[in-house]
Amino acid sequence: MQQAWLVLVCAAAVVGIFVYGAILWCVVAYRRDRHEAQHFTGNVPLEIACTVIPLLVVIGLFIVTYLDEMPVDRVSAQPESRIDATGFRWSWRFGYNGDRITSTGTPDVPPTLYLPVGRTTEIDLTTSDVNHSFWVPGFLFKRDAIPGMRNAFDLTPTRTGTYLSRCAQFCGLDHALMTFVVDVVPDDAYDRYIASNGTVKP
Amino acid sequence: MIEWFTATDHKKIGIMYIVATMTFFVAAGILAMMIRAQLARPDNALLSAQLYNQIFTLHGTAMIFFVIAPFGLGLANFIVPLQIGAPDMAFPRLNATSLWLFILGGIIMFLGFATYGGASANGWTNYAPLSEISEGTGAGNDFWTIGVLMAGVSTILTAVNLTTTVFLLRAPGMTMWRVPIFTWEIVATSLLILMAFPSLTAVLFMVLIDRHLGGHFFDPVYGGNPILYQHLFWFFGHPEVYVMILPYFGIVTEVIATFSHKPVFGYVGLVLAAFAIAGLSIGVWAHHMFTTGAVSNPFFSAVSFLIAVPTGVKFVNWIGTMWKGSLEFTTAMLFSLGFLFNFLLGGITGVMVASPPIDYQTHDSYFIVHHFHYTLGGGSMFALFSALFFWFPKIFGVRLNETLGKWFFWLMFIGFNLTFLPMAFMGIEGMARRVYTYPNVEHLALLNGLATAGGAIMGIAFLLFIANVFISAFANVPVPSNPWGGYSLEWATSSPPPEHNFETLPPITSRRPALDLMNT
Repeated sequence: MQQAWLVLVCAAAVVGIFVYGAILWCVVAYRRDRHEAQHFTGNVPLEIACTVIPLLVVIGLFIVTYLDEMPVDRVSAQPESRIDATGFRWSWRFGYNGDRITSTGTPDVPPTLYLPVGRTTEIDLTTSDVNHSFWVPGFLFKRDAIPGMRNAFDLTPTRTGTYLSRCAQFCGLDHALMTFVVDVVPDDAYDRYIASNGTVKP
Repeated sequence: MIEWFTATDHKKIGIMYIVATMTFFVAAGILAMMIRAQLARPDNALLSAQLYNQIFTLHGTAMIFFVIAPFGLGLANFIVPLQIGAPDMAFPRLNATSLWLFILGGIIMFLGFATYGGASANGWTNYAPLSEISEGTGAGNDFWTIGVLMAGVSTILTAVNLTTTVFLLRAPGMTMWRVPIFTWEIVATSLLILMAFPSLTAVLFMVLIDRHLGGHFFDPVYGGNPILYQHLFWFFGHPEVYVMILPYFGIVTEVIATFSHKPVFGYVGLVLAAFAIAGLSIGVWAHHMFTTGAVSNPFFSAVSFLIAVPTGVKFVNWIGTMWKGSLEFTTAMLFSLGFLFNFLLGGITGVMVASPPIDYQTHDSYFIVHHFHYTLGGGSMFALFSALFFWFPKIFGVRLNETLGKWFFWLMFIGFNLTFLPMAFMGIEGMARRVYTYPNVEHLALLNGLATAGGAIMGIAFLLFIANVFISAFANVPVPSNPWGGYSLEWATSSPPPEHNFETLPPITSRRPALDLMNT
């Protein structure tokens, strides 16, 4: 995902420099007191070039984002672990190991989602009331929770640490407080958490 | 007074549209100030969550359905018949129907604040099932739905009227390829409305049926589908953003050409680009749904990227119109240049969020708030003020004060960028939109403080504009028929125009009949 960000920000900067430059040039060079207007109504070769070149640029940008999106959307057939996440107004419930361990938050006490570092974890996302969205800004990623739908996606965190996360889809009164914490922990600590049925916190 | 309530003259209706949209603008602007006051500091407790949610919902809905979209069409009501040399709109009484449906719709929506439980608090998108349950069950929610329904139907009727007027009521000699760009943009807008708005009417009726008649369109327990709501809503909703920008593209084209003292560069290209944008905009709606996991992201991403091409053509033509011109920096021109400056950034960030992997971070965050305020605020709203300064003499027969106007422009420009530029960084740092409070993490306190300061500057600037209107009205200096050296036909009649618009129609032999008249 960093790649799409990098390429698009660079492309934006280049386009911005050209177009802002041209606008500023007009404003400075063609002021009424400095410049007599020349009358022309178009320049067909220039206009065609200015259609074809942007077309090629956006095709290039599309290819970059398409290649970048594929690994993000891919869901592994054999994930190394699996966690159920359920959004409700206004907190989250996380269930590990077939719901043998569950943790349910409140708007005032956000729950923690433990993820093993370096492993592919499938998150099965649902909601028990309205639309929500599972957003981990530190992972540059979100996915919506939609009533009647199970949204599965893979997360493979590469660094341990805690990430402040939240619901992104407006869901009513206390949407602002619908936060949670993602804690990426060493995989042996995660395994102990699962094996002890949640008694040994990572 | 009674002559205004019963008016069918397009000029009176146009004036009432402008006055009504500016009144709703003041109301929606006050709501915006309350939003910025609440978000000035982290963990602020100025407004309750319930009230804040109502305020941002009505701010967005009012700006979209009762300010930016109807101002463009209301202005078209006044200007289009003059630009094509028609005595009135094709269906004058239908026109009055549109106006009053729109005004009453806006009043009904705002009256939601007076109901038990307050106004609608679902956001302007009114997503089901949220809009069908819990705190969304109050009467304020139904007031919102009925009000927006009325605005939507009014818009469809106006689109029928404008299209018919341009196709059938053009003066002798006014061929389609001589029609000014503003009128062309209105034709493209109207056809787009006819394609997209019925979907809004349908989805709002479905919500009403679910809420009051036991329907289950969006309830999965009974086989309904919440994704269906999003499809129907955005099938209208994305074309709607072009309904809110195409008329304003027309405005800046006229203003830039007039004050560069040059013909429009690439007239045919501009027209084709307008229709390309309108056509493509029908096929991009699901880019609002990239994070649902329920749509084909690559398809909608590709079409969204493509819209950048005709929009780029427009920038080439605006710059081409200024190129080797003789630029006169009136307030109207400054606002159009401000439009170019702000809208370019909004367009660039628009291309970024057309990429699903970027959208996965920015969707429903302040990055999106940043993006669409640069297109609809820094873009459409700046063009709106450009239009007011440009056509004020034609509509009201007096010129707005230029010195006060330039102060207004610079304060707005600085205030606008100070408010909305920091929002890009808030979004990337993880601040979601539609939150009444946020924690003091990263740089959110600083960025929000800047945004609130910018909002205050815009508020002060707007007071300057209101003062300008009153000062200019009392000064009441009469203006000639063509005060700016404009080229299109409306500048060939008196300011304000007589009852049936033209005492005698000048011969129309080119795209610049008013200039031809001056030179003969």
